[in-house]
Amino acid sequence: MSSEQTLSADVVIVGSGVAGSSIANELARAGISVIVLEAGPRVDRQHFVENFRNLENKPSYQGPFPSVPWAIHPPNQITPNEYLHTTGPDAEAYQQVYLRMMGGTTWHWAGCAWRYLPSDFELKSRYGQGRDWALKYEDLEPFYYQAEVMMGVCGPDPSVEDLGSPRQQPYPMEALPISYAAQQFRKLISEKTPWRVVHEPQARNTRPYDNRPTCEGHNNCMPICPIGAMYNGSYSVYHAEAAGAKFIPNAVVYRIERDSANKRVTAVHYYDPDKGSHRVTGKYFVIAAHCIETAKLLLVSADEQSPDGIANSSGHVGRNMMDHTGVQVSFISGDKALWPGRGPLETNVIDNFRDGAWRDTRGAYLVHMVDDNQVDLATALAISKGYVGRELEEQIRYLASHTVRLFSHNEGIADPQNRLTLSQTHKDVLGIPHPEVYYKLPEYTVKSCEHTRGMFRELIGLMHGTDEQWTPGYFPQDHPAGSTIMGTDPKDSVVDGFCRTHDHENLFMASSSVFSSVGTGNITLTVAALALRVADTLKKELSHA
Amino acid sequence: MPDIVRKALWSIMAAGTTLASLSFPAARAQDTSAAVLARGEYLATAADCVACHTAPGGKPFAGGLKIATPMGDVISTNITPDPDHGIGKYTEEDFEKSLRHGLRRDGSHLYPAMPYVSYSGITDEDVKALYAWFMHSVKPVAESPPTTSLNFPANLRIAMSAWNMVAGTVPPESGDSATFDKMRRGKYLATALEHCGTCHTPRNMMMSEEQDNYLAGAPLAGWYAPNITSSKTSGIGGWSEDSLVQYLHTGHVAGLSQAAGPMGEAVEHSTSHLTDADLHALAAYILQVPAKEDSAEQKPRQHFGHPVEEADIRSGNLTRIDDLTEMDGQHVYDANCAACHGMNGAGTADHYAPSLFHNSVTGAGRPDNLIMTVLQGVDRTADGLHTHMPGFGASSDVQRLSDTEIAHVVNYVMKTFGSGDPAVTAAQVAKLRPAGAQNTP
Repeated sequence: MSSEQTLSADVVIVGSGVAGSSIANELARAGISVIVLEAGPRVDRQHFVENFRNLENKPSYQGPFPSVPWAIHPPNQITPNEYLHTTGPDAEAYQQVYLRMMGGTTWHWAGCAWRYLPSDFELKSRYGQGRDWALKYEDLEPFYYQAEVMMGVCGPDPSVEDLGSPRQQPYPMEALPISYAAQQFRKLISEKTPWRVVHEPQARNTRPYDNRPTCEGHNNCMPICPIGAMYNGSYSVYHAEAAGAKFIPNAVVYRIERDSANKRVTAVHYYDPDKGSHRVTGKYFVIAAHCIETAKLLLVSADEQSPDGIANSSGHVGRNMMDHTGVQVSFISGDKALWPGRGPLETNVIDNFRDGAWRDTRGAYLVHMVDDNQVDLATALAISKGYVGRELEEQIRYLASHTVRLFSHNEGIADPQNRLTLSQTHKDVLGIPHPEVYYKLPEYTVKSCEHTRGMFRELIGLMHGTDEQWTPGYFPQDHPAGSTIMGTDPKDSVVDGFCRTHDHENLFMASSSVFSSVGTGNITLTVAALALRVADTLKKELSHA
Repeated sequence: MPDIVRKALWSIMAAGTTLASLSFPAARAQDTSAAVLARGEYLATAADCVACHTAPGGKPFAGGLKIATPMGDVISTNITPDPDHGIGKYTEEDFEKSLRHGLRRDGSHLYPAMPYVSYSGITDEDVKALYAWFMHSVKPVAESPPTTSLNFPANLRIAMSAWNMVAGTVPPESGDSATFDKMRRGKYLATALEHCGTCHTPRNMMMSEEQDNYLAGAPLAGWYAPNITSSKTSGIGGWSEDSLVQYLHTGHVAGLSQAAGPMGEAVEHSTSHLTDADLHALAAYILQVPAKEDSAEQKPRQHFGHPVEEADIRSGNLTRIDDLTEMDGQHVYDANCAACHGMNGAGTADHYAPSLFHNSVTGAGRPDNLIMTVLQGVDRTADGLHTHMPGFGASSDVQRLSDTEIAHVVNYVMKTFGSGDPAVTAAQVAKLRPAGAQNTP
């Protein structure tokens, strides 16, 4: 249990997902020494693919990624959960999943790579709601582009389809071709409604890119792209390693050591799986461990100098937990067959409600027409209707081709009551407490969800839908944010506009934990852009040192 | 690019009679008309100069590519018209001597990695067109690649003069190559320009091509340039002229073969840009090259295998991800190959990912090209289509397979879809990886 060795680097990063690995890559290429500590194991794609193929419950996103005892992640979205304990009136709506593995949670995302809208960064000043960020869209624009090039993002030509986030450069790759189901859906929306369906920007190859192949539409981006056509953090891990960064798997950071003035971080300590302790010193430290684990680590590291946790003089570490908590419905279209499930999972979005004057009273939202294979839902429905034999087969065919699934990302908002704390009752094998989250859906988001339900009903009517199946209550979107919130005032925020903690001058956060508002687009591209901006800051400071 | 080249060639064809009527000795002043430059560009493409004289990611014709030989690496030179780093000071006579006789401007001998033995067959007129194009159309690059240093005795360039006496050269064709009849044109393309034999003809103890075994197949930097003689069993005697034309034009013929590695480059840079008439001439000539039999290949390479039925290996058990053991061939195939090539091996309906049965690579008597394809992948652009398969070697971002896993999957694929289990070992795979790129799982 004693400290058996001391490692050291210019920059020590906790977490190897898209944020940590892309910072490591940028710094290592600039000749800066980097150590990345990853709590989970290092596993190749082929093992996840084999697990996926062996899995009976194919839509289980966490299924192919069983966790290791020293770095547990939530096994599923079921409450009560074996790891992420949620409480409060909307406990089930905050049952987030993520991965603690080398490369991070982008092993199983759908590649949706949205930029936020300029208004998303100015929610308070424009609409009197929530908070403003301590940066503007323009500050992030070059880093958005850098992130798009790094990941390989395809998207529409802005002169044809403007997604509302001004661009200095075109997308690195042309937008995806539109699937048959999406063509039918687009036609309906444009002919019968005042809304529009747009191409979703995707971190997915529409041509060979970065030595990875073109997407073939296997339709299982979640849980695992079997060919590497979709971006995941493991590529940035490889690229960073090639540039000289050192990645240490199975290294569970549990303590953040500071100097006597409590101004600078001097080291982090990690456990190996046998609970041997190791100390890693550095000049700068970046916590890039996902919104939930980042806050957990800051709280776990509380000591005499910082009894409420590291970087927590504001008391806001773990507070302001947000998500795109949404609503979901599936139904059987009474119109022509759509045959969903050919192509990537999420490619088509109704974006009319991402912004508007009404944001002063209700949250924005974005609607996905999910293009996933519906055979499982169709089969369950056909069996529940009592079909057998040949009729059952015909019904499955009919229902699978006519099922429509819609879900929404509804805008959460920073509310300090929605809070992550350390579990008093559950600890892992290393003695580290599990995270616990209290969640009550803010009124702002509730109103947004009500509006979405009305819109979904309208769509069901237009498509002469039957057999509606609404997900009860609200639907977690696995986009947690806000646990180390950004702001200009150190009294009510944890980091500044450069993601540097107000309390410790050499400690940075690179995660959705810094988001001051959560907008509607999927969070990953913004996480990557913020991380690349952290790398830029560190490069400048280290070159002047 | 291909279209431009093709159009330019048609104009040359049309102008052929005019060109042919020019008298050579009188034409001391260099002819740099558009037609001559276009002809030079087409010839340089057909001779695939760029393949060796451009380093990966480097500027065109600036040299720097390492060409592995048993004597050591030969590094290609800068052949842009830069006067100090390239061939800018070369007169047409100097150029002709290096192209057809392997002599540098200073009189020293070139190493025969430069296929001057083949280029010796180029006509006078075509030498002029090539010279004009290199001098006037290629962009000068003021960079010198590292110099070649070989092992004794090949490090003595003078030794090459003795080698040349043994290897010999062929006399140049005469007349206007654009007016040759089909078979003569095909021979000219195959021997003097495309220099097919440089890779496909085995070499003797002296490293010169065995003319008795023309195109009978030879190893090539880990790959194997197969027997492409007219043998029905060991060669490509079963291919139609149209099939071979399609292969050279696109790099792929469903149910036959596809180009990767050095042949993928030859298709991309050279043969895919040839005119249909030239491709037919080339194919017709190749298909009548005398058959050479190979005891390792007793049945046409593309005639092996069949789809696998019911390849269900589902266990329902998940891998313990903190205890990863190396997978057997079928599981490596399932996890890494089946998404594109199918559990049954049939490939995609549009043949972008080819069928693995009825495929010259899996049906070959040697596993070399399958191992190299698994290690390096495929990256070939021809006829407007970029064909890409990721490699599974030590720099892959998709999946880095161990030597054992590659041996397992190659053996599985050849046993299941091809000519039979080649019993490849991990050590064999390790030798084919680039130096310093060994994978430690």
